[in-house]
Amino acid sequence: METATTLWLFVAAFGASALGGVLGMASGIFIVPILTLLFHMDIHAAIGASLVSVIACSCGSAASFIKGRLTNIRIAIILETATTLGALTGVFLIGIIPTACLYGLFAAVLAISAQQMLARRREAVDANVPDARSWASVLRLHSSYPDHASGRDVPYNVGRVPLGLSLMYGAGLISALLGIGSGVLKIPAMDSALKLPIKVSSATSNFMIGVTAAASAGAYFVRGDIEIGIAGPVALGSVAGARAGARLLLGLPADKLRVFLVVVLGLLAIQMLMSAFGAHIQGGPA
Amino acid sequence: MNRMTVKSGQRERLIAGLLRYGTWLASAFIAGGLTLGLLQHLSKPLFVGLGSFAFVKTGVALFILLPVARVVLLLFIFLLERDYVYTAVSALVLVIIGAGLLAGI
Repeated sequence: METATTLWLFVAAFGASALGGVLGMASGIFIVPILTLLFHMDIHAAIGASLVSVIACSCGSAASFIKGRLTNIRIAIILETATTLGALTGVFLIGIIPTACLYGLFAAVLAISAQQMLARRREAVDANVPDARSWASVLRLHSSYPDHASGRDVPYNVGRVPLGLSLMYGAGLISALLGIGSGVLKIPAMDSALKLPIKVSSATSNFMIGVTAAASAGAYFVRGDIEIGIAGPVALGSVAGARAGARLLLGLPADKLRVFLVVVLGLLAIQMLMSAFGAHIQGGPA
Repeated sequence: MNRMTVKSGQRERLIAGLLRYGTWLASAFIAGGLTLGLLQHLSKPLFVGLGSFAFVKTGVALFILLPVARVVLLLFIFLLERDYVYTAVSALVLVIIGAGLLAGI
């Protein structure tokens, strides 16, 4: 790898991570479009590098969520069985799925992310007495989290675990195929199926992302599909960007940044869609 | 209270500590390797023989292993708490990850 390219990879990952960090979103979704569209890399190399940076960001930020007692570790480990199984499926499928389909799928996920960024997440917390025979009760998933505004612990019940598991399988599959954390798919699944409080589902999703990505990244690493020269600087840039970015960019108006990122996501979606057709016609990545 | 119970605060501290120091260690390997590569680029004769690539590769491997290590840690914590259902669930996650690694070889 050229030294200049290494530096630019670091800078690009740093920037994406810093911008995303201000809005509390993972930068994983930007890494693959940056590497394929800007650096003209093969999408499979981009996916491998992105997965490593996704793991790095998840591990780097998980500690503070855990200490804030927002992460529900039991839910995480239960759902990880489904996400890692989905990731395993993705590892088997990625060699078969045509490159054009990967670009198309990526465009769809980018569009969903843009839409989600515009929509406001709704809180639907259920604090009634839970059904003692539900999966969530048997697995002792109901818990509470500290609310800083009131200074008290807020109890919450967990709903529809089987539905949550099947959605997580899909999220794991997409994560392995596209090299993203799939937080964009995990969080709505946890909000709506499991009815977790927003802060708890964000923290728990972040916690699970690392293991999910490690399941596929480990397999790609063993296969030799992860290009170290790309993955190294991108992972380092992402971690540093997530850490420094939130402080550096604290003064930026969040609303304008949100609109900016929605526009960026939309443009990237269009660009990836065009690559999908381009790759189809030329038989290789654009 | 069971004598073997890991206190809840202690459990969170262990996991948070593993992830925090693991991230630092892996980042340090990658940063060290990249810096070494840069120095080699600037003054070739000085640093011949030091593999910057190996450092970066170790860092990347550490990052991939870190979440797996976290599941192993959870497995032992659940085992200490005699929570055998969750010990089994943790083991299942490790088996699935292991299957992926075996399939990769």
